[in-house]
Amino acid sequence: MAKQSTHTMSRALQRRENISGYLFLLPSLIFFLGFVVIPMIICIITSLTNTNMHDPGMFGNFIGFTNFSRLFHDETFLEALKNTFIIVIVSVPAVCAFSLWVSSAIYKLSGPVLSAFRCIFYLPVVTGSVAVTVVWKWMYDNYTGIFNHVLKGAGLIEQNINWMGDSRYALWGIILILFTTSVGQPIVLYVSALGNVDQTLVEAAEVDGATSFQVFWKVKWAQMMPTTLYILVITTINSFQCFALIQLLTKGGAGTNTVMYHIYWTAFKLTEQAGHFGYANAMGVVLAIFIGLLSALQFKLAKEK
Amino acid sequence: MKKLLAILLAMTMVMALVACGGNSGQNSNDTPPAQDQPQENPSDPAPADGGSITLWTYPIGDWGKEEKVKAITDAFTADTGISVKVEYLAYADGDDRVNSAITAKAAPDLIMEGPERLVTNWGDKGYLVDLSDMFDDTDKSEINAAAMTACTHSNGAVYEYPLVVTAHCMAINLNAFKEAGADQYLDLENHTWTTENFIKAVDALYAHFNAPVGAVYCKGQGGDQGTRALVNNLYGGTFATAAHDKYTWDDPKNIQALEQLKGMSGITFDASLEGGDEIKVFYQGILKMAFCWNIAQQLNPNQADTGAGLTASGEEIVFMGFPSESGTPALQGGIWGFGIFDNGDPAKVDNAKTFIKWMCDSEHTVDAVKTANYFAARSAAEGTDLSNIWADNEIMNEYQVLMPYLGDYYQVTKGWIGARTEWWTMLQKVGEGADIASTVATYAGNANANAG
Repeated sequence: MAKQSTHTMSRALQRRENISGYLFLLPSLIFFLGFVVIPMIICIITSLTNTNMHDPGMFGNFIGFTNFSRLFHDETFLEALKNTFIIVIVSVPAVCAFSLWVSSAIYKLSGPVLSAFRCIFYLPVVTGSVAVTVVWKWMYDNYTGIFNHVLKGAGLIEQNINWMGDSRYALWGIILILFTTSVGQPIVLYVSALGNVDQTLVEAAEVDGATSFQVFWKVKWAQMMPTTLYILVITTINSFQCFALIQLLTKGGAGTNTVMYHIYWTAFKLTEQAGHFGYANAMGVVLAIFIGLLSALQFKLAKEK
Repeated sequence: MKKLLAILLAMTMVMALVACGGNSGQNSNDTPPAQDQPQENPSDPAPADGGSITLWTYPIGDWGKEEKVKAITDAFTADTGISVKVEYLAYADGDDRVNSAITAKAAPDLIMEGPERLVTNWGDKGYLVDLSDMFDDTDKSEINAAAMTACTHSNGAVYEYPLVVTAHCMAINLNAFKEAGADQYLDLENHTWTTENFIKAVDALYAHFNAPVGAVYCKGQGGDQGTRALVNNLYGGTFATAAHDKYTWDDPKNIQALEQLKGMSGITFDASLEGGDEIKVFYQGILKMAFCWNIAQQLNPNQADTGAGLTASGEEIVFMGFPSESGTPALQGGIWGFGIFDNGDPAKVDNAKTFIKWMCDSEHTVDAVKTANYFAARSAAEGTDLSNIWADNEIMNEYQVLMPYLGDYYQVTKGWIGARTEWWTMLQKVGEGADIASTVATYAGNANANAG
């Protein structure tokens, strides 16, 4: 009898805890559904329609996969897609490798020095991207920028380089800014991950005669894999979604158009064109598919490792 | 099953990160700068008895400055009892904000801009109220005929009540011209010059300063009226048909002009500059001529409050018409006025019409026009003569020499927004060295395809 009563009490307690748990989850869930899941569903649906801002309803006419087939004949979109992939392919490995290298060099430093380094590398992250971009814009300026001033002063160039107006340089200039603003968070995460590596395993490996490289590759790297995976996914997504830099520096010109910027331009600038919302949403779906595939690949490779 | 669930969960998380990814990492501070947000007037008067209306205004002269606009709207409120809540738009993102507001069914009651937005875009799409009933025969006789035409849709509806007009022009640094001996090519009395003299002047300036002296800016659409006017005027090309139903910038005269400009050492095609950037570089004395100019810049170059008609270092700026073979330019006009969004509230529409009547056709029109720092779009308003309101301002008076050169207001051609994008993208390609004839043909073709 007493046992049954305890059991009933336990179930009641469990139920109460469950309800409390769900109630705590509710605010986040509402935001998640309202600002992520539902917009995603709307995006997918409208990508199959010719909807535009002038339609009375949310959705226009269903046109199947017309937007998607049109995309792959749209030279501007294909160029934007190519630029986006260049940014991702260059930026993601560079950010990961550089942040790992810096972290390895600084994680054993004493507290205040380590904190100073973390502050320096994290500063561009906490500084507004607009402010950072404006400073870079001054440095890149074709007429008064410091880069041209220094290079001319050093006799390396005769004529000013139009960094943000010349398609030979503009995309690389943007990748450089993206790089400097992206490495802060991975460095902090890697420093933390390296500090949490199980020292007994490191010592055991050293006792067994492992070299420094082997210790790093076989012991430390393996234990940092979850951190690396997170960094890869986050950096990949941020690189795919590079927008503010393009908007502030080139407006998609000089060979720097990206899919994110092209989506914005199509959805909110080319409002006269028929079906512009649906077409922009189709680009969004394609971008999400690419990001999803790349992230899935990263998950899979990390798991195998 | 567990694996499947785990994969689904992981994919959901990735998709969520995709959706929210812009807020993580380096993009965590992507909030647009405060000055790009529509600025509400914090000291807007409380709703008066006559109701209230909202006005969104682009920075049209001092109609973008709160202290000036507040003075005139307060006077309107005191006179009519209708309070006005004003929001100030920037050209950088103003269209986005208006489009978002339209989509969210939260458009303002009144908007101040030009026919290319009010007539060709929002009016054409049916968002604006037809203002035809506000014009009687006297109004039609007083209002500048070209402005009236531009404010009238092809369906006969009038979607903009014009307040002010001006002519866009270019400017030169007279000190630099004198230093290079290029001032001999200018007709300073009429503020005009020929294509031949323009070429000679650029060559002389380049020979003297050994650096580009003018920039065909093409980063975006900002100030693109300057590059269009330059190209069109050099050899008499056109941008659109007289009927405004087709873009014609692929005509051989424009191709000839682009080839001429591309071949000049003193002219650079600069994809890192828009009109506003070009003005800044010109104001700094680096460029010796600016193609994005009008009376607002002449009165206050670079909006720097350092003296009318002067560069940062005090050199003299002279406004000029664009060079043409005959020396008679066809200048791009600027027409600005008010439109009313149809928000389904007749009382608001009536109040908005009262506002327009008060600003554009009453004894207060002088103040409204002077706030814009442009010229009145009509000769008189309810008996008040507007033709001579700038008699006390030497620069404004002098600038009127350009007004007879106003050319066709082709910004009302269908597909205008897309055409602007095609124009500056085309200039970038030309600047990069693409074949001019085929590039022009491609982008003009795109513009016409978009125009449907």
